[in-house]
Amino acid sequence: MGGNQSLPKITAQDRAILDLKLQRDKLRQYQKKIQGVLDREHAIAKAQIASGQKDRALIALRRRKYQQSLLTKTDEQLMNLEQLVSTIEFSLVEVSVLHGLKQGNEVLKQIHKEMNIESVEKLLEETAEAREYQREIGDMLSNTLTLDDEEAVQRELLSLQQDVLAETNKDVQLPSVPSEEPARNEAPAQGISEEPQPATRNKVLVPG
Amino acid sequence: MSLSTHTTPSGFLLPSIHSAPAFFTEQPNPTTQSSATEQWTRLILTYARHRKLFVLRVEDAESTDSDWSEILRNERINRMFRLHLHAFQRSSSPVGRILPNHLSNIISNMVSKNLAAYEPPKQTRSALIFWRLPEEWAEILYDWVVSIGQLNTILTFYDITDPPVESPLTNIPVPLLRRAISILGKTGRSQMIAIADGEGVRFLARSK
Repeated sequence: MGGNQSLPKITAQDRAILDLKLQRDKLRQYQKKIQGVLDREHAIAKAQIASGQKDRALIALRRRKYQQSLLTKTDEQLMNLEQLVSTIEFSLVEVSVLHGLKQGNEVLKQIHKEMNIESVEKLLEETAEAREYQREIGDMLSNTLTLDDEEAVQRELLSLQQDVLAETNKDVQLPSVPSEEPARNEAPAQGISEEPQPATRNKVLVPG
Repeated sequence: MSLSTHTTPSGFLLPSIHSAPAFFTEQPNPTTQSSATEQWTRLILTYARHRKLFVLRVEDAESTDSDWSEILRNERINRMFRLHLHAFQRSSSPVGRILPNHLSNIISNMVSKNLAAYEPPKQTRSALIFWRLPEEWAEILYDWVVSIGQLNTILTFYDITDPPVESPLTNIPVPLLRRAISILGKTGRSQMIAIADGEGVRFLARSK
């Protein structure tokens, strides 16, 4: 509020534009003046015709014609000036548009710097890893057994299987029950195992 | 004597008090005088607004063909007086017109109330009439500039006082225009540019 600091600086361009516009104003005022002269000469000519002075009226009309040519000339000059002013002002607009484009480009560059290809790749990789990790957790939660438990279960299964296998094997190897009472046979055929006994007995018998 | 309103050739409706001869003379009674001055002030302001008049001169009281004649004199009163007072027939009756001295007092009263300002300053013969206060002119000026899209471009005073398309500011006196511009300058909405050849002004967007 009220601070002159916030006002834009008056540049040489500004002064040049103002100068042109002031010249244009002068031309416009000059045109107004000529228009007045034209009207006056017209009135003079009219008055002199009324009073019968044809020559003087003619002179006034000639003067008027000359002023009229001046008016057309100033019109052309005015148009030149106005074109120049418009061109300058349009160029200023173009400059500001260019400035805006430049700034937009700058911002875009900055944003691109923040998201280069490597970081995007890294980010995607990390995302995949995280997804994998998430999947593992999900799996674990869905079958609540841990790996150790699983191993234990597997071991149990194996031992059971062995037991069953062992049992069936035993059945197969079982000898048939003998149908007759075993006969005591002290035949030499049995003596293989009993032989030492008679020997010791013999030994005992000898001293006995 | 019946007092009635009267419509002037320019379409202005004069109040009934304008038909009272006493209205045109200074009153010895201070209370009456101050109320009459108030009436005159209001009449001058409304008439100025009606005709878009900016300057009131003391000499306007003396001439019969000034812009202000419609309110500063009342020929109907003179005619009436001539009819009624044929015994005291005077060639130039001062009854139906305000005297320069009286007008000068009214103007000085308006200046003291900030409804007018002596222009040029340091004299008391002519004054700018503020039928809009300079602050109001400032807002009108700013709104006009915004409406024609001339923010941030340099305008000459001639651009403002004499635009190609008539505006509320057409023919505004430069001193009043300067006041309005400097009021806008206080809020950072205008910037004066001066070069050797003349002056210009640039209007800026409201900085808020």
